[in-house]
Amino acid sequence: MFVRLLNICVIAALVLAAAYVYDIKYQSTLRAERVAKLRHDIRRERDGIASLRAEWARLGNPSRIQTLAQRHLPLKPFQTNQIDTFDSLPMRPPQIVPLGTEDPIAAILENINEDLTASTGGLGSLRGGGKGDRQQ
Amino acid sequence: MSAAAALNWRLRLVQRLLYGQNVDRSVKSRARVGLAILVFSIGYAVIAGRLIQLAAAPDSQTVRRTADAVSTSRPDILDRNGEILATDIKAASLFGEPRKIIDVDEAVELLTAVLPDLDATELRERLSSRKGFVWLKREITKKQQQEIHGLGIPGIGFLTENKRVYPNGAEVSHLIGHVNIDNQGIAGIEKWLDGRGLADLHMAGLAVDRMDKPVELAVDLRVQHAMRDELMAAREKFKAVAAAGLITDVRTGEIISMVSVPDYDPNNPKEANDPTRINRLTTGVYEMGSTFKALTIAMALDSGKVSLSSSFDARMPLRYGKFSIHDYHAQNRTLTVPEIFTYSSNIGTARSALAMGVEHHKWFLKKMGQLDRLRTELPESAEPLVPKRWGELNTVTIAFGHGLSVAPLQAVMGIGALMNGGMLIPPTFMKRSQAEAAKLATRVVKPETSEKMRYLMRLNTEKGTAGKADVKGYYVGGKTGTSEKVVGGRYSKSKLLNSFTAVLPADNPRYLLLIMLDEPKATPETHGYATSGWNTVPVGGAVISRIAPLLRIEPRFDLPPSQQLILAKGR
Repeated sequence: MFVRLLNICVIAALVLAAAYVYDIKYQSTLRAERVAKLRHDIRRERDGIASLRAEWARLGNPSRIQTLAQRHLPLKPFQTNQIDTFDSLPMRPPQIVPLGTEDPIAAILENINEDLTASTGGLGSLRGGGKGDRQQ
Repeated sequence: MSAAAALNWRLRLVQRLLYGQNVDRSVKSRARVGLAILVFSIGYAVIAGRLIQLAAAPDSQTVRRTADAVSTSRPDILDRNGEILATDIKAASLFGEPRKIIDVDEAVELLTAVLPDLDATELRERLSSRKGFVWLKREITKKQQQEIHGLGIPGIGFLTENKRVYPNGAEVSHLIGHVNIDNQGIAGIEKWLDGRGLADLHMAGLAVDRMDKPVELAVDLRVQHAMRDELMAAREKFKAVAAAGLITDVRTGEIISMVSVPDYDPNNPKEANDPTRINRLTTGVYEMGSTFKALTIAMALDSGKVSLSSSFDARMPLRYGKFSIHDYHAQNRTLTVPEIFTYSSNIGTARSALAMGVEHHKWFLKKMGQLDRLRTELPESAEPLVPKRWGELNTVTIAFGHGLSVAPLQAVMGIGALMNGGMLIPPTFMKRSQAEAAKLATRVVKPETSEKMRYLMRLNTEKGTAGKADVKGYYVGGKTGTSEKVVGGRYSKSKLLNSFTAVLPADNPRYLLLIMLDEPKATPETHGYATSGWNTVPVGGAVISRIAPLLRIEPRFDLPPSQQLILAKGR
């Protein structure tokens, strides 16, 4: 009786194991197929990228750009005197009104009044301020 | 009873016919069982063996892919800013299997309809052969492939191959070279790549897929274009046989640009076989003319026996045996060293070389790498033509650049060493850092000599023959060279080889430029002159003003003359 029960158990285990192995095999086949497909896709994409890059390089070729520019643009090669350094830029004129003031003109007028009462030096700062405004 | 007797009789008859009368059947049957066991066990052994084989064998797919890519893959070649100079794209090639073709005439008719450039008789011949495999056309377009696929001819198929393309065409032709139909490098950097193990990989069938690591060159495509554009214009303007230009970084030896026109389109390598299209900078050797005077003067200054204030007698032509050496810009007086350089005096240079002695001269030029073949990554190189017996007369002529032919790249390497502080750095087409260059460099002249040479070069643009290349803001220093070509064993007065070597900026040199024009003609604009100062120097100036911004050289104005800026710094 005991032997018979053992036999049944073993057979059941065998069937389960077989089913499990089959499942694993099936899964692995599926995944292998997927890997192969992805590899193929990657290869195709990379080939595509390579030919697009080659095309881009051909279109961006300097002599082609030069021909197009000469035909369609009024630009000329620049001269060295068109280059300047940051050091030779003039200093920014002093700000007479802080940025973001709601009514700049009223603020200027206020400043003038203050300057006039303080000293005659206010005239100079007014002149500088007017220049600065025009530039802005 | 009679039925049993009949059966018995029949059995006995069969037994007698099969085995004879006296055979023991039990022994026979045991032997049979044994045989059956043997056969079955062999059968199972075969199955087991096959199972092991299947389990152990690698993925059969990779094997097929190897067969797919016939012409193998090569790494991309990029310029120093990452612009593509050469790359691989996939292209289909058409092949036929003549044994599988049913109707040859129909196949030929259909194929020539899609590919009109295919020769019908040749195609018929190939398809009628008894071979298993024939190429019909390499590298067809995607559209053609689809059309042929749609025709459905049996025995016709496609293979995907790597095709090498050069999107910039002729611009970098001499530099990168080209490949044959099987994607093997046959010239330039492409050949060099094969020599570095790529060919072995191809043999082993490993390099079939795209290579990941691109090769980065030192060349700058934009500079290369600017140079080529100016040289093409100059060649046309002065009706020169050829024009060539070279830019190197004096601190690293990197070759930023190398152009030799006429050149060829690497996408159409047949043009490369034309001998007029050779690369004049590496495969040609030339007498460099006055450019060589820089080396002679540097030798004299470096020896310590001659200083900038020394003077040499140039009052009358230098007589040597039956030869006499004249000056082109004759001053007929005693000249100081800077005057010799700026007036480009043959007599003065020859006298200073003679003062050093023949052996010293030879030793110095050897040290400067002018007497040995210069090898770079490019497989093409030329051996300098050195006189077999080097006497005093040879020293006299070589001092001003006649009688010794070197590859222009070689001369540039030597002059680069005079400019960069005295270190001789072998030129390279690959990217190289200053630290790497320092390891390869050898000291050839003293730093003070280099400083004096830079002063002389600058002085020559301020006062001398190279004035037309003084692009404002870049502090250019330069030396011109006009040499007469040897025609039929004699120096020709009309066939000249002109060169111009420039360094920028002269006070802190970064780049060295060489412009060469082969047999330029005089034009009305040059007042009938064909010497270097009238053609290569203005071309050099035009090139400098175009490339300096590309090379990120900041223009500086109101710089003091070389007397103060370069010489005073050294003291």
